[in-house]
Amino acid sequence: MSIKLEDVSKIYVMGEVETHAVKKATLEIKKGEFVVLLGPSGSGKSTMLNICSGLDNPTSGVITIDGEVISDMNSKELTKFRRDNLGFIFQQYNLLQTLNVKENVEVGREVSLLPFTVAEVIEQVGLTPQIDKYPFQLSGGEQQRVSIARAVVKNPKIMFCDEPTGALDEDTAKEVLGILQKLNKMYETTIILITHNPSIGSMADRIIKLNSGEVVEDYQNKTKLDASEISWG
Amino acid sequence: MLFKNVFRTLKKQYTQLLLLGVIITLSSFIYTAMDYGVGGIKVPAEEYFEVANQEDFAISMMDFMLEEDLMYSVLHCMPSEEVYTLSALKDTNSSCYYKIMDHRMSLITGTYSSISIELREYKDIFYDLSGDTHKLRILKENEEINLSFFTKGDAPSIDSEIAVGETYAKLNNLDIGDTLTVEGKDYRISGFVLFPDYSLAILSSGLVFDNETQSLALFTDAEFERISVPVGFHIGGVFDNNLTVKEFETKVLDNYKDSDNMYFVTSILLTEHNMRSGAIYGEIEGGEATGLMLSILIASIAILIVGIMVSKILQSQRGAIGILKSMGYKNSEITLPYVFFIAILAFPALVTGYFLGTLAAEPFKNAFLLFYLLPSGPINQTIGTFFVAVIVPLTFILILGYYIIKRILSQKPVVLLNPQVSSKANFFTKIMGKYLKRLKITRKLQHLLLYRNITKFMVFLIGMFYAAFLILFSFSMVGIMDRTIIDYYDNTDHNYIGYCKYDTVCDLPTGSQETVIELPSALVDDEETYLVGLKTDSKIHKLYDKNNDVTNELENGLIITKSFSLVKGFKIGDTVLLEVGNNSLEIEIVSITTEYSGNKAYIDIDSLSDLLTRSTGYYNTIYSETELSPDNYVIVISTNDIVDQTQRMQTLFDMMMFVTIIVSIVIGAIVVYILTVMTIEDNFYNISLFKVIGYNDKEIDKMIIGGYLIYGIIIFISAIPTAILSFIGLQLLMARMYNVVMPFEFSLWHGVVAIVIYIILFYLGAYVAKRKLSRISLQEAMKMYQI
Ligand SMILES: Nc1ncnc2c1ncn2[C@@H]1O[C@H](COP(=O)(O)OP(=O)(O)OP(=O)(O)O)[C@@H](O)[C@H]1O
Ligand SMILES: [Mg+2]
Repeated sequence: MSIKLEDVSKIYVMGEVETHAVKKATLEIKKGEFVVLLGPSGSGKSTMLNICSGLDNPTSGVITIDGEVISDMNSKELTKFRRDNLGFIFQQYNLLQTLNVKENVEVGREVSLLPFTVAEVIEQVGLTPQIDKYPFQLSGGEQQRVSIARAVVKNPKIMFCDEPTGALDEDTAKEVLGILQKLNKMYETTIILITHNPSIGSMADRIIKLNSGEVVEDYQNKTKLDASEISWG
Repeated sequence: MLFKNVFRTLKKQYTQLLLLGVIITLSSFIYTAMDYGVGGIKVPAEEYFEVANQEDFAISMMDFMLEEDLMYSVLHCMPSEEVYTLSALKDTNSSCYYKIMDHRMSLITGTYSSISIELREYKDIFYDLSGDTHKLRILKENEEINLSFFTKGDAPSIDSEIAVGETYAKLNNLDIGDTLTVEGKDYRISGFVLFPDYSLAILSSGLVFDNETQSLALFTDAEFERISVPVGFHIGGVFDNNLTVKEFETKVLDNYKDSDNMYFVTSILLTEHNMRSGAIYGEIEGGEATGLMLSILIASIAILIVGIMVSKILQSQRGAIGILKSMGYKNSEITLPYVFFIAILAFPALVTGYFLGTLAAEPFKNAFLLFYLLPSGPINQTIGTFFVAVIVPLTFILILGYYIIKRILSQKPVVLLNPQVSSKANFFTKIMGKYLKRLKITRKLQHLLLYRNITKFMVFLIGMFYAAFLILFSFSMVGIMDRTIIDYYDNTDHNYIGYCKYDTVCDLPTGSQETVIELPSALVDDEETYLVGLKTDSKIHKLYDKNNDVTNELENGLIITKSFSLVKGFKIGDTVLLEVGNNSLEIEIVSITTEYSGNKAYIDIDSLSDLLTRSTGYYNTIYSETELSPDNYVIVISTNDIVDQTQRMQTLFDMMMFVTIIVSIVIGAIVVYILTVMTIEDNFYNISLFKVIGYNDKEIDKMIIGGYLIYGIIIFISAIPTAILSFIGLQLLMARMYNVVMPFEFSLWHGVVAIVIYIILFYLGAYVAKRKLSRISLQEAMKMYQI
């Protein structure tokens, strides 16, 4: 699925203070593209991602996904759209505390058109031994892997990942990124991934850099590496 | 800084806090109103009873001339004609009547020492006032016990003067100096009188104590004797200084029924157990207790809700608290702002309740005085009441809040930084595990979201049960007065009751009339009862058990009223000893009729006639559908008049009931509402997450709201049997302890309406909560995820 942004801005108004989190962004992400969003803290990465995915409305501008203008959709239509097409991984793990690993992943599977099996995906993220544990019994990295499994199991057409590896060590991070890469290759899943780690860019098709809400760099990565080959820096 | 944080957290809950405030206000309001209202009666009443020397006990005795009386009269005064009753004897041979009375009284004082007694005589007369039939009970002035007490004016000094009750006068716009025409004679009202043996105007066997159409009255002694109406009597008695109630109970109450000397006594009642004189004691105690109970009940809900809210707020901030603790904040520093704000919220609510309560006390007291014949006094505020109404609940709320906070804070910071989930298999998960396995995740979630946090779930269940109980309880009180009195007259077709004269033979019944024997003082297993002899095929006074006509069961034995059965514990199948005058009969109780007024028993008229006269055909009363001529009877009573009277009295009762019912429903509703809103808000994060993943509103409702709704409904349904059982229990308790029968009634529609109310409130709460949640954007919600 392709994503198109035309003159998209987001302004947060808090009393007297206006924050231009995203300024007049215009770009297009093609179907099956693996895009990495880089930028310093507070540069508007998360805001951009949330707007692209319809979790939040832009202040102005038009967002089109596969020809459908999502910036015009009401919340019901957006829900339907998310359900059929999108997967999310957040900086925070956002797990349901009252459900164990398997059940948390099932929550994602339940609303999907062509889901993977739960066991398969849990195996992929390497949590099979932990399958009956509750979130608070898992380490941060393990929790993040549950939230990845929950997004992946939906077999989404686009994955939005906000710092999925921020809390993981190098090996685990590479494994997780490998899963995403596999998904991208096998199913042509479009992936947009936010990270602070520039070296992750080496596995992407394209790198977009933000600063103070503006796109300051946007280039294709000619030497795309396998996730396992990334030189962690 | 911490204060600000707590303040902002609370601000978000302002509707719930406001409703909580309402409950807290209600609790101190009810206590204050009841306490001051009752206090405004209690103090002057106690003085009055002291001054007027209220009887400590009353002795009822048979009007029948019993064998012993006859023997005594043969020896001492030989009545000229044959009479069967003392009241008839007084008309024909007054000195003989008094000799027998003196004899009976000397038997009492001879048998039991340390008591003084005095005969109390009265005559009931009916007269018309502005188109209605009114009843006056003229009491003869006593010398020692139960003296008259004037709230205004003086006692009648000449034969054309009368004193009546002040409440009666007020309700009929009468004043001192006005004239009443009774039995063709004009009387000038000389004063307003009270009698301490009638603090409640119960002037008949029914529970009618309406003060608008009936009053106690005082004539001069001469005028009292002149009125040609049969005399009624009982004995009033007081203890001498050295006798205690306990001693009286063991010496007299426990054995008078076995004493041969007491052959004429039907009952001896301590004043505190006697409706007409002592109900006020129960009422005062009951009023004070009810006020306290109700407000404790309400306050405990308030405290419960405060507890839930505090722990909810703390739970949602456990991460932050954990961090504060890990940073080195002391527990007391974290606790203080919470306790401070709880106090800030609860104190004004309690004071408001107290203030409103003091305002309501006066009308509340006056409502009392519409029933009770007592002098009125001013209401004085006391420190004690303020203390109980405001300081005590405040302390409780603070202590509980403090305790919960303390408990949460006493956990290690690391525990606080992690969420609280019971992963251990609990009772529910074990039972539900198998069933849940087969379900889709959405269905499964409906249950899992609840079971996995057993504490919250329990709080939800307990709160809902409480609300359900309160609502069902209120419903079951609807129409309680109807059931007590009016239903009886509605179910029977006798519109007029004529009591036959002693001296002449009663009219033979015609067409729609039936012969009946009414005996006010029979004994069933030594318990005083109003015995009615009915035809087994009676057409105009049928007996019903619920809706089944059980009249012809009279052929097989005795039928007693529901209230008699409740108060004395008689059951169907019991064989009892029925005593009427000198005669007795073993008889089985074959049915209980759904009648809630009075200790009555029905028997086949032929058996009763045979018992009394050794032949069939005797009767002393006529029940009739059509009007009876008053000339042929001692008194003709219209049942419509009784119903009217009852209905007048009922409006006030209904109003009180209505207020109680509304208050209970409001509290129940508030509990449902607050719990629903809190529950949904609790799931705020889950709801947002489901939305992000792509669940639509319908599915989310089904998972989160649906689960609670199902369990709420289950709770409401399971509250029904519990409620019914407790009504039965309460009814029995009231009957045995206070001789008062509360005909609670539960019918299916109560349950249905309660559940409908619940569902409406639930959806209302869910709607409000969801609207509040939808104002927060999904991405913000995702960021709020703690831990
Ligand atoms: N709900 C909000 N209300 C007001 N301002 C906001 C809100 N969310 C974000 N901002 C502001 O918008 C700007 C961009 O925030 P954003 O979260 O997009 O940054 P980011 O690039 O994701 O940073 P990080 O790498 O630290 O996650 C920041 O200056 C932030 O303060
Ligand atoms: Mg961010």
